Amino acid sequence: MIRDTIRPGTILRVLVLVALIAFLVAPERFAGLLAPLTTNNAPPIYNQGSLVDLTLSHLFTVAISTLAAAVVAVSLAVFVTRPAGREFLALSRAVVNIGQTFPPVAVLALSVPAMGFGEAPTRMALFLYGLLPIFENTLVGLSTLPPAVVEAASAMGMTGRQRLLKVELPLAMPLILEGLRLSAVIGLATATIGSTVAAKGLGEVIIAGLLSNNLAFIVQGGVITGVLAVLISDGFQAVARQAAKKSGTRPQTET
Amino acid sequence: MIELSHLTKVYGDIPVVNDVDMTIATGTITVIVGTSGSGKSTLLRMVNRLIEPTEGRVFIEGRDVSHLPAHELRRSIGYAIQNHGLFPHWTVARNIATVPLLLGWDREKVRARVAELMELFQLDHDQFADRYPHELSGGQQQRVGVARAMAARPALLLMDEPFGALDPIIRAKAQADLKAIQRRTGTTILLVTHDMAEAIHLGDRIAVMDGGLLKQYAPAADILARPADAFVDDLIGVVDRPFHYLTLGTVGAAVEPGEADGAPLNADASLYEGLGALLWSGRKAAPVVDAAGRDVGRVSLDSIAERAARPT
Repeated sequence: MIRDTIRPGTILRVLVLVALIAFLVAPERFAGLLAPLTTNNAPPIYNQGSLVDLTLSHLFTVAISTLAAAVVAVSLAVFVTRPAGREFLALSRAVVNIGQTFPPVAVLALSVPAMGFGEAPTRMALFLYGLLPIFENTLVGLSTLPPAVVEAASAMGMTGRQRLLKVELPLAMPLILEGLRLSAVIGLATATIGSTVAAKGLGEVIIAGLLSNNLAFIVQGGVITGVLAVLISDGFQAVARQAAKKSGTRPQTET
Repeated sequence: MIELSHLTKVYGDIPVVNDVDMTIATGTITVIVGTSGSGKSTLLRMVNRLIEPTEGRVFIEGRDVSHLPAHELRRSIGYAIQNHGLFPHWTVARNIATVPLLLGWDREKVRARVAELMELFQLDHDQFADRYPHELSGGQQQRVGVARAMAARPALLLMDEPFGALDPIIRAKAQADLKAIQRRTGTTILLVTHDMAEAIHLGDRIAVMDGGLLKQYAPAADILARPADAFVDDLIGVVDRPFHYLTLGTVGAAVEPGEADGAPLNADASLYEGLGALLWSGRKAAPVVDAAGRDVGRVSLDSIAERAARPT
């Protein structure tokens, strides 16, 4: 049933978002709040760069790697569920699984000599890390469609391509979005370690805090990352719920 | 005319459909009846090439279906299945419009056709056009499924257990509606069922399948009177046979001159219904009226009983 009433959860999320933006735009106003965490008159607010810039480049790194992972993972899942690609299913599962089991730190360490310092190794690590959830979810989505619906699509005279674009992908969309959500959230957290190889992002704040023994830096870097992850995760869930509601299949449980 | 010639489908070493020859006349309802695993659904799916035959050919109006691209062939053949297979993410109107849109009809023509079909299948356009399948009852979903199958006015309609998921009351109505719509549109229907009563009720001709073989292919009356073998006999059911037989004839055919008391029967009601009415009201005979309400004579238990006996 469609309810148009505003849920308390929605209000809470909006408040959290407003608080986050306020902090990013004018962090010095919150200095008093963080000051108790510092010692020896250390600055309570990160002062070696703009928090807004760091947040935006952090988000950009995650967005671009998740997007790339989505394109590759969805294409691969589509390919291995077609008759022509079925025999590659096991192989691609293995490849994608390796991407996931490789620790991101190891990816960074190995790719710096090849790609140099900066954003590139981080994006590579996030890309590899993001493949598995999207691939597995898309695979489940495409292979658990109601058989009667898929058969009807063929029987109505859809070509393979029409069936994929008009029926299979739209029906698998709630699960694909769920995979994207997982990848984005994992990526958001993992991207912080990118700062060890000089990628611009919120990891800088945390690492600066660790180096200078400044708990206030660690907390603000960590909390911004965490809040972003929660909000993005919620956003994806809302879109997935909408998609599921519309398709009338796989209604997602409210969280 | 649809011609199945030496149609065979083998999975592994097992022939699921074994050398079936059948000719189906245009504008008739042909029912393929059999138990599960008899190969009846496989046979049906070979007509629109959802399954490619191992051997043999299908001709529709003299044209070999294997010569057309499969998706083009299927757009010219209606297809309705037990669990209707409606697209859950599309509205009722969009579902019905599937094949016309694939064929590239213009919007206005599609809209008019959808409205026409929804009226034909007694689905109020304003109320249902924008609903999603999961918001409909089973009977409504089934009607949308058949409407979708008939949307592009196919000359041939394939139906695989189309009423299997319906409860008995809705099923009887859906069967009657289908028969009436078929008489109006002249669509050739090939329908698969495991229910002999449904086959007798709907089929101009009945094909009985068992173990991939076509056991008998004949009008319902012939199947009842002269079952080809013990299997066909079993499928009919010895006890039910006279009653099945009575569903085929009308009261009008058993009319004799004379008069009787009580409520009249319609001449176009089946003998089965006539017998039921007589037994329940405790009468030996009842007056019969035609469609216009004119008295045409009477029907008696004896005259009905005569028609339930095995023909010699």
